[in-house]
Amino acid sequence: MAANNDDIVKRARADLAKRLGVSETEISQESVEDASFPDTALGASTKGEMSGQMITSGVRIRLQAGKKGGYEYRASGDQLRLYKFKGSNYRI
Amino acid sequence: MNRQNFLGHLTLALTLIMLAAVVGQLRRWKHEPLPTRRARIEFSQKSAPRSDAIETTERKPQGAEIYVRFRPGTTPSEIEDITFTRHDRVEDEVEAVDGLTLIEDQDGQDVNSVVSEYSKLPMIEYAEPVSTVQADHGLPGGPKHKHANDAMFGQQWSLENTGQGGGLIGSDIGALRAWSKTTGSSKIVVAVLDSGVDYTHLDLMNNIWVRPADMPAYLDAELGEYNDVHGFNATDRWTDPMDDNGHGTHCAGIIGAEGNNQIGIAGINWNVEIMPLKFLSSTGSGTTKDAIEAINYVINRKRAGVNVRIISASWGSRQKSRALYDVIKKAGDEGILFFAAAGNNSDDSDKRPHYPAGYSDLPNVISVAAVDRNGQLATFSNYGAKSVQIAAPGVDIWSTWLKGEYYSASGTSMATPEAAGVAALVLSTDSNMSVKELRERLFKSVDKLPSLKGKVSTGGRINAARAVGAM
Repeated sequence: MAANNDDIVKRARADLAKRLGVSETEISQESVEDASFPDTALGASTKGEMSGQMITSGVRIRLQAGKKGGYEYRASGDQLRLYKFKGSNYRI
Repeated sequence: MNRQNFLGHLTLALTLIMLAAVVGQLRRWKHEPLPTRRARIEFSQKSAPRSDAIETTERKPQGAEIYVRFRPGTTPSEIEDITFTRHDRVEDEVEAVDGLTLIEDQDGQDVNSVVSEYSKLPMIEYAEPVSTVQADHGLPGGPKHKHANDAMFGQQWSLENTGQGGGLIGSDIGALRAWSKTTGSSKIVVAVLDSGVDYTHLDLMNNIWVRPADMPAYLDAELGEYNDVHGFNATDRWTDPMDDNGHGTHCAGIIGAEGNNQIGIAGINWNVEIMPLKFLSSTGSGTTKDAIEAINYVINRKRAGVNVRIISASWGSRQKSRALYDVIKKAGDEGILFFAAAGNNSDDSDKRPHYPAGYSDLPNVISVAAVDRNGQLATFSNYGAKSVQIAAPGVDIWSTWLKGEYYSASGTSMATPEAAGVAALVLSTDSNMSVKELRERLFKSVDKLPSLKGKVSTGGRINAARAVGAM
């Protein structure tokens, strides 16, 4: 079953807080918007990962972590990915 | 007949017509709609046949017919009410697709007006006219065509573009003309290297490859014996290649959903053998290692006598792999053509390659870009005057999905099996064609399009009719 947007944002905030070593309260939600991604890896494939070349609908989540800047997560169904975090993509 | 008699007859005829109209309206006011198919069945089950009941059952549609798909949650009684208040009737329900209903107009409106009327309703996903036979069909000396009777065929613009959805009439792969020559062959095996295939889907099950009883199971030196009844699963090398994502089932349906069986869609090949291969996971991702393992399996089966001539690969990444390159090359040596998705990043692949489509120096690799229903390069599609060879329809493509359903999807993922399907159709006319001959046939038979000039090396969209020699 696909997770709802609130659950996905919660997962994204927790992940980002852990990566940055900050409290979740320091991370604010900038936007959550519907988006179409270029492939089944949501345009955020990891190293060595092949993905289906089908346009995939999902949501783009932008989070702000104070002075550390803005970060983008991409989600579809139960899939959640961190896009270009310090130059790399991550599957959460 | 003298003038006075003529006027008398005319007056009488007009009176009768008006009377019939008034009686008809009275019937509607009294909530006595003409029976629907469902109502007719109930009637025939409950009552002894009567002459008027039989006459109603055999009634053929007189008014405009349209397909309407109601949004999920719209109940049958709501559908009945909607059609009733518009003086229309439910002629049929397409059970395989939730909410898809055939409606007949009964008050003389033209088909476009009926479509427009329904399209405005909030509970309607889409409404479209039932496609009609082209004027030149069957005319002596005119081009030969063969239609499919599949329920959703009217939505398959890539096979017959009638202008549905605002498309350009005729901007398709020419399937109808191709089918006048061949509808495929079960002697041709196409490997769909993807997330597996739902081989139990009603529209696919008769076209799924099954290992012949006299052929030994796949034996891998390291993995041991694998019972490859329906192909191979490289993700765990244990379970069968049942699809748990949907992507592979979609690609398989484009190539070879059973055609002319009255249900769902028609594949480019009405008859073919689809070999399911699974290396993409339930989320649609996979590794180079598993892709290589699956291609290795295909080569093994080819050597064992399976006539697999095509691999359709609707996936990729920017990462280059020499090992993947080598195993695809080896497949070419075995007589297997490899179709690969150009990718969906709107990039020039000559500058930013996408693999495996980017291994275009290999003579058995064909990189496929996507075009829309107006013959335009899809906005998302990668392109490349040198590194992408051909284009095929890849926007809003209906095909098979999990749990017996159907789904409309876009991507070079969809364009790739369109091209692979045409190649299989060509092979059904001459199974001895070499990889080189088949590739040249496909390239020489494209429809050159202005939008593809400088975007793909052939400058054109694949054309099935010309490729099989039907025009």
